[in-house]
Amino acid sequence: MKNIMIPCTLALTIVLSLIFSGCESFLDKNPQGALTQTTFPTSESDALLAVNASYGTMLDLSFHSGIFPLTDIMSDDGRKGSNPTDQSSEIGQYDNFKSTKTGSELSLWWATLYQGIKRTNVVIEKVPGIEMNENLRDRYIAEAKFLRGLFYFDLVRAWGDVPLVTALNPSIKLERSAKADVYKQIEQDLLAAITDLDEKNDQVSTQLGRASKGSARALLAKVYLFQGDFANAETYALEVINSNIYGLEPVFTDANGVKGEHGIESVFEIGAIGIEGPGGNAYANVQGVRGTPNRGWGFNRPTPNLRASFETGDPRLKGTIIDLGDVIDGITIMGDGTTPDVTTDENGNILETECYNRKVWTPGSDVASQFGHNKRILRYADVLLIASEALNENNKPAQALTYLNMVRQRAREGNNMILPDITTTEKNALRDLILKERRCELAMEGHRFWDLVRTGKAAEVLGPLGFVTGKNELLPIPQSEIDISQGSLTQNPNWN
Amino acid sequence: MQIKFPTKTLLMKRINLQIIILLILILTGNSFVFAQNRVVTGKVTGSDTGETLPTATVAVKGTTRGVITDMNGNYQIEILPGDAMLVFSFVGYDPQEVEIENKTMINVVLQIKRSTLEEVVVIGYGIVRKSDLTGSVSSVKAKELTKITSLNAEQSLQGKVAGVQVTTTSGAPGATPSVRIRGVGTFNNSSPIYVVDGVILDNISFLNTADIESMEILKDASATAMYGSRGANGVILVTTKSGTIGEEKTNFSYSGEYSIQTLTKKIDLLNGKEFATLANEIPGEPDYNNIDAVPNTDWQDMIFHVAPINNHQLSAWGASKRSTYYIGIGYFNQKGIIDKSGYERVTLKLNNTYNLTDYLKFGNNITISPYSQQNEPGVVFQSYRAWPTLLPYREDGSFAGVQGVGNPMANIEYNNSFNKGVRAVGSMFTEATFLKSFTAKTSLGIDAGYNKSENFSPVFTVLYYDGTESMQKHTKSSLYKGTSDNVTWLWENTLNYNQSFEKHSINAVAGYTMQNTNAEYLNASGENIIRDGSDFWYLQYNNIAGSGVNGGFNNGVDGYYSMISFLARANYSYNNKYIFTATFRRDGSSKFATENRFGNFPSFAAGWNISEESFMKKHAEISKLKLRASWGKIGNEKIAYSNRFSLTQDLVTVFGIGDILYPGVSYGRSGNPDLKWEVTTQTDIGLEIGLFTNKLTGEFDYYNRITDDILVDLSTPGFLGNGQGQKITFNAGKVLNRGFEGNINWRDKVGEVSYSIGILASTIHNEVLSVGGSSGIDSLLYGGNIKGFLTQSREGLPIGSFYGYKTDGIFQNQAELDAYPHTGDASVGDLRRVDVNGDHVINDQDRTYLGSPIPKFIFGFNAEASYKKFDVSFNLQGQTGNKIFNAKEFIRPDAYNFEQHVMDRWTGEGTSNSEPRATFGGYNYTPSDKFIQDGSFLRLRSVVIGYTLPKAFSQKIHVQEFRVYVKGNNIYTLTKFTGYTPEIGSGDVLSNGIDTGIYPITAMYSFGVNLTF
Repeated sequence: MKNIMIPCTLALTIVLSLIFSGCESFLDKNPQGALTQTTFPTSESDALLAVNASYGTMLDLSFHSGIFPLTDIMSDDGRKGSNPTDQSSEIGQYDNFKSTKTGSELSLWWATLYQGIKRTNVVIEKVPGIEMNENLRDRYIAEAKFLRGLFYFDLVRAWGDVPLVTALNPSIKLERSAKADVYKQIEQDLLAAITDLDEKNDQVSTQLGRASKGSARALLAKVYLFQGDFANAETYALEVINSNIYGLEPVFTDANGVKGEHGIESVFEIGAIGIEGPGGNAYANVQGVRGTPNRGWGFNRPTPNLRASFETGDPRLKGTIIDLGDVIDGITIMGDGTTPDVTTDENGNILETECYNRKVWTPGSDVASQFGHNKRILRYADVLLIASEALNENNKPAQALTYLNMVRQRAREGNNMILPDITTTEKNALRDLILKERRCELAMEGHRFWDLVRTGKAAEVLGPLGFVTGKNELLPIPQSEIDISQGSLTQNPNWN
Repeated sequence: MQIKFPTKTLLMKRINLQIIILLILILTGNSFVFAQNRVVTGKVTGSDTGETLPTATVAVKGTTRGVITDMNGNYQIEILPGDAMLVFSFVGYDPQEVEIENKTMINVVLQIKRSTLEEVVVIGYGIVRKSDLTGSVSSVKAKELTKITSLNAEQSLQGKVAGVQVTTTSGAPGATPSVRIRGVGTFNNSSPIYVVDGVILDNISFLNTADIESMEILKDASATAMYGSRGANGVILVTTKSGTIGEEKTNFSYSGEYSIQTLTKKIDLLNGKEFATLANEIPGEPDYNNIDAVPNTDWQDMIFHVAPINNHQLSAWGASKRSTYYIGIGYFNQKGIIDKSGYERVTLKLNNTYNLTDYLKFGNNITISPYSQQNEPGVVFQSYRAWPTLLPYREDGSFAGVQGVGNPMANIEYNNSFNKGVRAVGSMFTEATFLKSFTAKTSLGIDAGYNKSENFSPVFTVLYYDGTESMQKHTKSSLYKGTSDNVTWLWENTLNYNQSFEKHSINAVAGYTMQNTNAEYLNASGENIIRDGSDFWYLQYNNIAGSGVNGGFNNGVDGYYSMISFLARANYSYNNKYIFTATFRRDGSSKFATENRFGNFPSFAAGWNISEESFMKKHAEISKLKLRASWGKIGNEKIAYSNRFSLTQDLVTVFGIGDILYPGVSYGRSGNPDLKWEVTTQTDIGLEIGLFTNKLTGEFDYYNRITDDILVDLSTPGFLGNGQGQKITFNAGKVLNRGFEGNINWRDKVGEVSYSIGILASTIHNEVLSVGGSSGIDSLLYGGNIKGFLTQSREGLPIGSFYGYKTDGIFQNQAELDAYPHTGDASVGDLRRVDVNGDHVINDQDRTYLGSPIPKFIFGFNAEASYKKFDVSFNLQGQTGNKIFNAKEFIRPDAYNFEQHVMDRWTGEGTSNSEPRATFGGYNYTPSDKFIQDGSFLRLRSVVIGYTLPKAFSQKIHVQEFRVYVKGNNIYTLTKFTGYTPEIGSGDVLSNGIDTGIYPITAMYSFGVNLTF
């Protein structure tokens, strides 16, 4: 027995000592392959990563109105598209303002915008505390503020009163802030951004696409325009114009096309690589030609109404609409076998013909090349038209006409038989002409619906499509958000 | 002790010799020799059966001489002068010593060992007699487990244990079922844990059923308390086979089984003509000019066919004086009923124990299991949707395109998806007994697995019949390779104390354990692989997909956590009548921050063996009556290891002329540093009865378990910026499960027929008591996100309750439509959605409770009989009270085929009030009670008929037992559900019972052989 006892006691001692040593630290397991929010960002390189991450939001397909181009589909410019049954009960309902509060497109768009806002808040709140080059630091914060302004601009136009989150870890019980307060915050952010951002022509070519002074000024001009503050809209639009950095692409299709990427007309665009993976942007794929050649799903179909709105001979028609039989970059557009070439209603009126959005066309041999399309958020033609509109409202029609006609001149592409200069100086008439020019110039780029709403023309133009005044100016707050908020968030008027 | 085998010839020789000697001695007048070579004969019988015991040992005490009894239990032994005592012994019986004196015939009745009569049950960290058990434990022995052709060890429990619900989640080869013990306990992982020879595991897919000796299912708090930190959903103890010390011979066994699997039933879909009729009614494509001339393709016939299973097992076990061994080799190969799916596995099992000295013992249990699985490409759903009016092949024999879904056969052809790997589970232990009552044991267990996934798609284009390209194509070949490895080690140290004196008996154990898990994955994908064959499925620098940062490459950790535990249990029984058990366990997990790291889990139980009381002794027919009760707290921490941390997230952006990729990092999902243990409090009261010497036995339990502080992922408001669908884990839920369980068994023998019948049943009442708790977010817990959420878990209803619109008839005409509230997209001929809250508007507020996926009543029925050489058994199993959401029917983003009932559609006023007008999607295909079906079923799970060849024949080939049998599994199912099978399980308790087109379960017909030699 004794000779068993000794080794047994020894074993027990060893075991016990192992037990009581290194006990607690055995249970400390750090996350693997990821930083925690307490250790990031702490350095200059961290700061750059944090800013880049904010830009990265725009490569998320849901950033683009929840995957599908809702604003164009709601407007008189576009219909759902793709084949008849694809998303008919979800996105198809936007054609006639019959959509519901439960659509995933709404919750995706909402969530992605706020995710972008959180990323900018990380920079704005954390980067000031980092020891680093002051100029760089200020510039990074300015870029984040620009982006925050951009994201809130989408939120406030789509939903009106929205929760205002300007710091990390907001209260779970946050309520909606008034539209005016949100706009005030946007203006504040953009004004601060303008100060510290570089001008575009001071940017290194490998960094093009980062927000520039011109981007911030142009966006601010638009923000003022939407609020009806034409004085400020004029000021900032003119600052962009008078910086003499920007111009119009000679060929209209280049304004949105590959050749114009980061070009003279680009005021702010989203860079993308032609791969179906990180760095690719699926925005163009959603609207790409469906069938043969296979470039995408075919959503956002230009309407007969839009087609008819172009003046005779306006090359921008073919620069906006791809029809079956067109040959682009040597490829013949055959279209999709399951989509009818022409759809008529019960009275024989043409509802739509199979056609596609030319503005997202990207040369290439497969679907992946569409992922390299750089979406233009702001382009110089838009700035010119903003200036024109503001100047007209500020009773400066002559100057308004100068800029308006610059756009038309480019559209002519040297052919003086078409698109004559506009000479009307009567305010109301000119206002309508500028709105129409905006349509023809910027069709299928997501602007039309909000242009109609802000100018008060939505009821008149979209009423026949089902637009209800007092309701459809805004989208409904996603129902899932209302449910989760347990009463803190209320719904938009007439959406119950 | 030598044992001689007295063969007839030897005996004859002996007797001849003795007669000659006798004659000589008589002639010489010497009687001394006679007295010296005496022979004693006799018969040895067993007390329990009254049968004779062949091969029982009869030995002369104090010598090495002995004999064994023959086939009839008779023996003859030579007695020499000085021999005083004969010792009779046989395994399972108490040995007996009888004085020889001058008897010539000694017949002996051996008493069956007490412990054999009373089952011995394996519980956590110990073994206990069933009579001493205070917890609710069900035991399933090896023989029961091999009754059905089980594709995996979990499935062999189906219908065998009250309170245990085993549901197949998919019929695909290699798929593991979901196991629920006493309802669904929590919102996260509701599966029990498995302990295989002391190693704690999450699944037992690597085990060969033939290697299992017994499975003990621990159900209540007292039984599971020793696994306190993870036993909240029950514990299944698996003991694998080993030899028995003392039985010094080697046994071999071989079993082989060959089975054929067939699809039990097809789904009733429309044929070509019926589909064409409806398609013409529905505006838009497709339209058919001549519906009588349309092709008719039965896509289900095209993809399903008969497939075999091969299952072989060879084992050897035995013992020597100081060691035991068990070696098992198994081979399992199942081909799926859909082409290019299958599962193949080899298991090698090695169990040994060594008694170094009488006090020191060590041993090992090792299983190594390499496997290879081919995954089917998801064509079940395709065949359900594909238009029957399309031909599967074009004129030149190539695949023909199928609108909307793609050609399923092309999908199978171009699919190459494999999982290969090895799983090794093993433990080694050392046990020392000292001071008579103490046993110290230390063991190290390891669960290691390595898995490699490969997925390759070649370049292909499927053309439509007319030659145009369909969307089913692949322009670049692509390859995905992923590896994952995990190692979990568990080090356990226990000290056991066992002592009985007078009427008291104490059994106590104290222990300390440490566990650590590391699991890592690495995967990458590539394009433009130079050739299609599997020889080329490797990623090279020039074909990795994507460029720059994060291009198709992923490396991370699936698990990285550890646990430390202290455990103690004391069991006291007085006079075998009154038993008390107290258990305490303290666990610390790395998944929680320091403040909440440790949890304490106590439990108490008591039992009363009423049948041992003196006042019960006169009721001889009641052989067993026991009342027991238990209460305890058990914990759970089955969440991802990093949930308490707020992590960062890697992103990318693109700048510059030339589109350069830049990395970005920002805050990802917020974590919750306040996470703590989830605790289940369970109460159990049980009654065990045995009547007529245990011919009739029954066990009944009432259980009540409440799980609180449930770790659940809740959706947070979008403005927190976590992104769509991101959730944060909170301790925020409370769930109740309660019910009755019972089983009754009758075994008897009538003439030459012995039989037994068993019935088991359990009821489950599952109710969510609260969601949200202290999180500050009282979000309703949604699940089953298919076209919106299909389930809602809320107060007062079961977990994963279905929710949607209630429907009530069809709008027959415009007047009816105008008279009742409806949404903008409703028309005449559509379903009427009920305005549940009466506010004259149909909206989300009218979506309501439609049924529960959790059955209210589960039952099973087993019967077996044996007559001479034949044995027969069958098993029925069923459940009621649950519903199934037929989700595959309403997911219609495009034009698809329909189920037969759609032919009864509304075509005009008064034509139907249940089936709406035909449409390819839209209004009528939103989640509503139209798609809820009754999931109750009764299934003939297995029928086995076996025949054991006569010993005379088998012994000629040196085989001790030779049994052949035929078996049928899943032969017939009685159910109203229109899908392939009413068993729709899910690992995710919030999306349970939703049929999205799973791989069907098959009927299996087998022929097999069991040999022991």
